[in-house]
Amino acid sequence: MASVTLQDITKQYEDVTAVDDMNLEIRDGEFITFVGPSGCGKSTTMETIAGLTLPTEGSISIGERDVTDLPPKDRGISMVFQNIALFPHMDVYENVSFGLRLRKYDQEEIDRRVDQAADIVQLEGMMDRMPKEMSGGQRQRVAIARAIVREPDVFLMDEPLANLDAELRVHMRTQLQRLHRELDTTIIYVTHDQAQAMTMSDRIVVINGGVLQQVAPPLECYNEPANRFVAGFIGSPAMNFLEGEVVDGGFESEYTNIDFDPGTHGVSPGQEITVGVRPEDVFLEEDSHKAASPTKAFDAVVDVLEPMGKEMNAYLLFDREVEASAEGRGKGQLLINLVPDTDIEEGDDIRIVMDRENIHLFDRASGDAITHSLE
Amino acid sequence: MSEKDQADLAAMEKTDEPDLDRGMVEAWAAKMISNPDRAYRATFYVATIFFLVTTLFPFYWLLMVALTPRNRLSSVGVLTPGGFNPGAFVEIFTTLPFHRYIFNSFLIAVVATVIVLFVASLAGYVFGRLRFRAKNVLLLSVLVTSFFPPAAFFVPLNRLFNRNIDILRPLMQDGSLYNTPYAIFIPLSALYLPLSIFILMTFYSQIPDGLEDAARVEGTTRLGALFRIIVPLSAPGVATAGVLTFITVYNEYFFSSLMTDGRPQSWAPMLEGILRFQGEFEVLFNLMAAASIVAVLPVAILVIVAQEKIVSGLTAGAVKE
Amino acid sequence: MRPLNWLETQSEATFAYVLLAPAFLLLAVIAFYPLLRTFSFSLLADQTAAPTPFGEFIGFDNYVALLTGEALLPQQFLDPSFATPILQQALFVTLAFAILSVLFETLIGFGQAIVLDQDFYGRRWVRVAIIIPYAIPIVIQAMIFYLMFNPTVGFAADFMQSIGVFGSNPLTNATDSFIIVLVADIWKTSAFMALLILAGLQSIDRGLYDVARVSGASPWQQFKYITLPLIAPALLVAMLFRTMDAMRIYGLIDATAGCQTVPSMSCLVITALQNTRRWATASAVAFLTAVVIGVLVLLYLISLRDTEAGVT
Repeated sequence: MASVTLQDITKQYEDVTAVDDMNLEIRDGEFITFVGPSGCGKSTTMETIAGLTLPTEGSISIGERDVTDLPPKDRGISMVFQNIALFPHMDVYENVSFGLRLRKYDQEEIDRRVDQAADIVQLEGMMDRMPKEMSGGQRQRVAIARAIVREPDVFLMDEPLANLDAELRVHMRTQLQRLHRELDTTIIYVTHDQAQAMTMSDRIVVINGGVLQQVAPPLECYNEPANRFVAGFIGSPAMNFLEGEVVDGGFESEYTNIDFDPGTHGVSPGQEITVGVRPEDVFLEEDSHKAASPTKAFDAVVDVLEPMGKEMNAYLLFDREVEASAEGRGKGQLLINLVPDTDIEEGDDIRIVMDRENIHLFDRASGDAITHSLE
Repeated sequence: MSEKDQADLAAMEKTDEPDLDRGMVEAWAAKMISNPDRAYRATFYVATIFFLVTTLFPFYWLLMVALTPRNRLSSVGVLTPGGFNPGAFVEIFTTLPFHRYIFNSFLIAVVATVIVLFVASLAGYVFGRLRFRAKNVLLLSVLVTSFFPPAAFFVPLNRLFNRNIDILRPLMQDGSLYNTPYAIFIPLSALYLPLSIFILMTFYSQIPDGLEDAARVEGTTRLGALFRIIVPLSAPGVATAGVLTFITVYNEYFFSSLMTDGRPQSWAPMLEGILRFQGEFEVLFNLMAAASIVAVLPVAILVIVAQEKIVSGLTAGAVKE
Repeated sequence: MRPLNWLETQSEATFAYVLLAPAFLLLAVIAFYPLLRTFSFSLLADQTAAPTPFGEFIGFDNYVALLTGEALLPQQFLDPSFATPILQQALFVTLAFAILSVLFETLIGFGQAIVLDQDFYGRRWVRVAIIIPYAIPIVIQAMIFYLMFNPTVGFAADFMQSIGVFGSNPLTNATDSFIIVLVADIWKTSAFMALLILAGLQSIDRGLYDVARVSGASPWQQFKYITLPLIAPALLVAMLFRTMDAMRIYGLIDATAGCQTVPSMSCLVITALQNTRRWATASAVAFLTAVVIGVLVLLYLISLRDTEAGVT
């Protein structure tokens, strides 16, 4: 059990900066998740913590120890890999006990610990199976057993659930949380899937282009995203963005305008900004009582409806002239979240309101958040 | 064979059914065609027998030559010896200490194989798995040494190994490596290194990175991961590189004859022994044949042992995905 | 453990150089140094009568003489009219031999490897049998074929003559001898290809074939889409080294038909070295051989680069 500190970590490959001046303090016993799109540097960051990659600059400490110059084996860490990485020429027992045998523990201690780990991940009776003869989920449990058996200070998990099917992934998610509770160890978890990040972590670390975007508990990242990238990345379906300009008395874009007092919200007329609003914070005009503080109503056209069972996604166009973009949500398009039995059809003209309490403003140039509420 | 073909043939077979006079060959062919698995099986046996006959026949004929008394060589048949003289297999040990020659070659080949596998493992790991700037240039320079006919090394190496080197004086009686096993296995290790480097490079490069990372996190050094994980998982490649190196060094003549005076106690290799039977006035083909059959035995044993390794790679679980 | 720990924290490049040090130390002493010496010899004049074989520095004159056909080398009998320069004859023999032998050895080796890849009773003995020719020293391999095609001892010369393929004494006829040398080489070294291809086959995940079979792939499709791509790196390495070896053929020729009958490029090096004591010219021929091989290797490396495991 230990804290982990990253100080000015930079990793440069020939002409690419994979990680750019990262500073991070991970608390003892915390479940922290690095999340970001693929290639954002989250795995590289984890590899520098593991010692598999040496940072170009900066230092790393685990607990009180500076481990920057230590090889992986001396860092007191263990790791679960995306491709599971069980040694194919060893059976389950040999895989799980590999690290203990390397460290020359006595046989009794090895057996005791292996039994205990097998018990935690429910692998009893499979000790002499070869990895080849096991299912994906079983292999993943062996990989986890191999990681916990050494009782490491820090537990690194690099997309451990990525190769499992959807059902198993959800199951393993709760298993991992339970595991964290039982072991009470620092866990650093890497994923590109914001749902995993949201559900499991104490705090999440959003990374993009090798740069730290936000470090905060999941709900804080969701409610108060530090910038436009975090706002768009966290939450599913993703936030709507409207680009426009601050005018006297509010915001104006090609299709919409929202009234507010620029002065009290830290913007000034003429400033180019982006308005962000989550699909669940937009309502039909007749449901405007559901919004804590509704805006005035806008006209919109229903383009596509996606009934999801417990809810319904509606893709709207601000007017009939807007052409739906093939790549994601384009200009003049809006995604909203409705209750499933809402009585509308594709092609209907409707009127909608947004919840002022949950309208985010971002500076267009820097992307930084300005405010998270227009109240 | 496409499904349609099979259906057609099945239909044909049906119409043929009443015709009981069908020839045996025809019946056999129809059976094969209606049952492709059996056809594959048959092809497989035919191929196996073909390969066995073609590879073993010259070797068998060599045995016939060995069994033929030396003055009756012209009457060796295709399948029979021109007489029966198993004494040749005894004679090779009585006229010469041929076992000593075999021992020399065997020892030299074992040492060279160990050196080559170790050094080539390090280099193969580097070329197959690491990324660095000078990689392609260095890899090419390894390969370049194999462009040259062995004779291109002859004169300088001959001079190098016959020179008295002062720093070697404590080790060697006259300070020269001539007539020592070092003079044979050092150059041979170097000259057969490129092949093994290339073989191991291709096999090592195919082991997933995750396995190496996992081993290092679990507690090995980088070199530990190489020898505990990458090498065992490349068992077929390592065993093959080992067998090829052993065989080539064991049979090598050009350099081995250069580095010794040809006497068995001077670490002269097995081939030097065989060539002694060429005699001064007459080539003793039967003794040469007998000697070479005896000399092949250690290799055959090695192949039997090594092939277990090749198979163990298979059962351990393939790694190419 | 200290030095190993030090290695652990070095950059990938430093680590690479440290691990390459033993290989390059060996190669430097045994290969690079002698080759540089030999190259410097090739720039000197021949001295056939003097006590030292090398004369004054003459630059690339030896190479020029060889390429223009003016070099003084023992003439060969391939072209009795003496019209074709000797180097050209040797180049033709060497290339023809390399292409044909590698082609047949690859095909036969592949067949052998596929047989050995099957699971059947007695496989280990079949494996030994197929590898045995490779374990036979070149001198003995040559002796077998020399005796077989020797008109007084062997049966093969009479037989081949009776079906009208060979002349009465094939070992003195250039074409017949070329074929004998080719067959002898294929007999011995197909096993080399077989072993390497087999190693490639053995590390393929058998599960892949099950997947392919389930999705309805024919055996040919399984071969084309699974086997071939996965063994391509091993196959290319095997062919690369076989080609380089075939291009340097000498011992087998010398001990069967003789270098006068089937002159390869390596033959020229040796005859110039031994028979005429033209050491400088021999060195130049050796380097020309290396250049020819180098060109071929370049072609190989380009195709290696295209496969995954290659030299990227």
